Amino acid sequence: MGKAKDPAAVMKKSKLRREIKRHRSIYILALFPLIYYIIFKYVPIWNAQIAFKDFRAIAGVSGSEWIGLENFREFFNSFYFWSLIRNTVMYSVGKILISLPLSILLAIAIYECTRPILRKVVQTLAYLPHFLSWVIMYGILLTLLAPGDGVFNDIVKLFGGHPIDFLSNTSTFPWVVLISDAWKEMGWSAIIFIAALMGIDVSLFEAAVVEGATSWQRVRYITLPSIMPVIVTVLILKLGTILDAGFNQIFMLYSPQVYSVGDIIDTWVYRQGLLDFKFSLATAVGLFKGVFGMILVIFANWLSGRLSDSSLF
Amino acid sequence: MGRTKEKQHRRKVRLTTADHVFNIIVDVFMVFILIAILIPLWSTVTLSFRPIDFIGSNLRGMFLPPWEWSTKAYEGLFANDGFLSAFANSFKILVGGVACALVLTIPMAYVLSVQSLPGRRIINMIVIIPYVFNVGMIPAYLLVKDIGLINSLPAVFLPGAISTYNCIIMRQFFVGIPMELKESARIDGCTELQVMFRIILPLSKAIVMTIGLFYAVSFWNDFFHAMLYLNDSYLNPLPIFLRNILIGSGMNENLEVTAFAESPINAIKAASVFMSAIPMVIAYPFIQKYFTKGTLLGSVKG
Repeated sequence: MGKAKDPAAVMKKSKLRREIKRHRSIYILALFPLIYYIIFKYVPIWNAQIAFKDFRAIAGVSGSEWIGLENFREFFNSFYFWSLIRNTVMYSVGKILISLPLSILLAIAIYECTRPILRKVVQTLAYLPHFLSWVIMYGILLTLLAPGDGVFNDIVKLFGGHPIDFLSNTSTFPWVVLISDAWKEMGWSAIIFIAALMGIDVSLFEAAVVEGATSWQRVRYITLPSIMPVIVTVLILKLGTILDAGFNQIFMLYSPQVYSVGDIIDTWVYRQGLLDFKFSLATAVGLFKGVFGMILVIFANWLSGRLSDSSLF
Repeated sequence: MGRTKEKQHRRKVRLTTADHVFNIIVDVFMVFILIAILIPLWSTVTLSFRPIDFIGSNLRGMFLPPWEWSTKAYEGLFANDGFLSAFANSFKILVGGVACALVLTIPMAYVLSVQSLPGRRIINMIVIIPYVFNVGMIPAYLLVKDIGLINSLPAVFLPGAISTYNCIIMRQFFVGIPMELKESARIDGCTELQVMFRIILPLSKAIVMTIGLFYAVSFWNDFFHAMLYLNDSYLNPLPIFLRNILIGSGMNENLEVTAFAESPINAIKAASVFMSAIPMVIAYPFIQKYFTKGTLLGSVKG
């Protein structure tokens, strides 16, 4: 300890200095994006302290009075707490249950299809809805589901049934949400599986054919096992975002008649905060969701890293 | 796609009944998917061309022959100031947003891709933490309010000007460029900045296009930020205009007088839907060209 400086450490230090000097221009390059990050991503985190305060616009974020966990208590004790959690989880799990098998099936069908034109057309059209916004989707759904002259109610009437107002009926609304999401995102989610299928070693199939395997057996024993790691990864990463049930979609489709089955955490936060101006309560709920979501994402990422050595960051 | 040709050839040699059944089921499934995708799109497109004197349901309207279609709904829309200004606003948001987003995202992604950079891990943490820890919409709203952006178009695109997800995808692409290229450029006397502008960026046109188009889609489709931050109706972008039309509150008198008399109200709604979607549909083949190459899967595949 009393000796002169360790020569290795000195060398390391001067090397570091040299490296920093060499990368000067890179730091300058990083300057603007980092300032952006501080303002647009970190100031909101700082602002989130109003979850523990009684926020008043005049006093501002720092000037408002601390009230501890009062906002959280109000949320946890309220009757809508469990219904919000239930709806949120119901929609995200429901979307996984419907979309994931559908997109896997679609990917396998696209891969196995022996008609090049059909394959090309389906592949192109299936990705398209992903690029339409939920406002546009709402317009399309109105054409399909309107109680007066919507396409679906025409079919219902054709079979002698009574027209249903799909979007404001509590028993049909969840299905509209789940199926419209599947319609919109199915093709897009299939991309990753198609990429995985393209990576399968063709010699496996050749060997199977030599051994006399049927198409069914090839799918069952080669195709599915080969893309299993990707399926597991996608599933885990989706579970990590289970608290994001799709604000844009629900917000566009729901109405007060279906709040009981349609309201999710994000839509509730929006109404409390920006329509009723209960900024602190809404922020507390958003923060609760943020912390919980962070734990889930980190866990999911760790798990997928362990199981299939692929992770998001 | 070479594999399929080979597969077909192989199947000609030996095709059992089970294989036949399999192929038929695959084809039936594909056709089913095709129809399921087309019906909603087709019913909306045909509705937008519905003439005023058409009597019958949307289902029947889907089979109306094209020579009986009417373009009155579009004429009404294009004569409407609200629609034209919404279209212009959406365009301004798109151009401003994409420019801002690329100017910020490319350097950030490049910085994160320089493996030898001292402090890279810290910068990486700065980028990742807000991505994982999302505090929600109210704190972000307060920020935009505090810096005085409310009721200005930048309020719509600035909060989303760097999407960390896009940034990670781009970084992954930069990392994939062979080290030797950068090393040899350095040996030839390039500075770090020159390496980026002369070596890396010219090789990255595809990823810059892809990410640019992704930003373009997100800004064009953005409804949420516009709803939050814009109060004056003359600032409304297309998604807000469309939503107002759809829920029936935005039928300003101008539009009603000019268009309502000549085409059914639902046709105007459908025409607005179509006009909002059309730029994305036009841009779509360009986007598709890139994402099917698998450029975007880098970040997920690890």
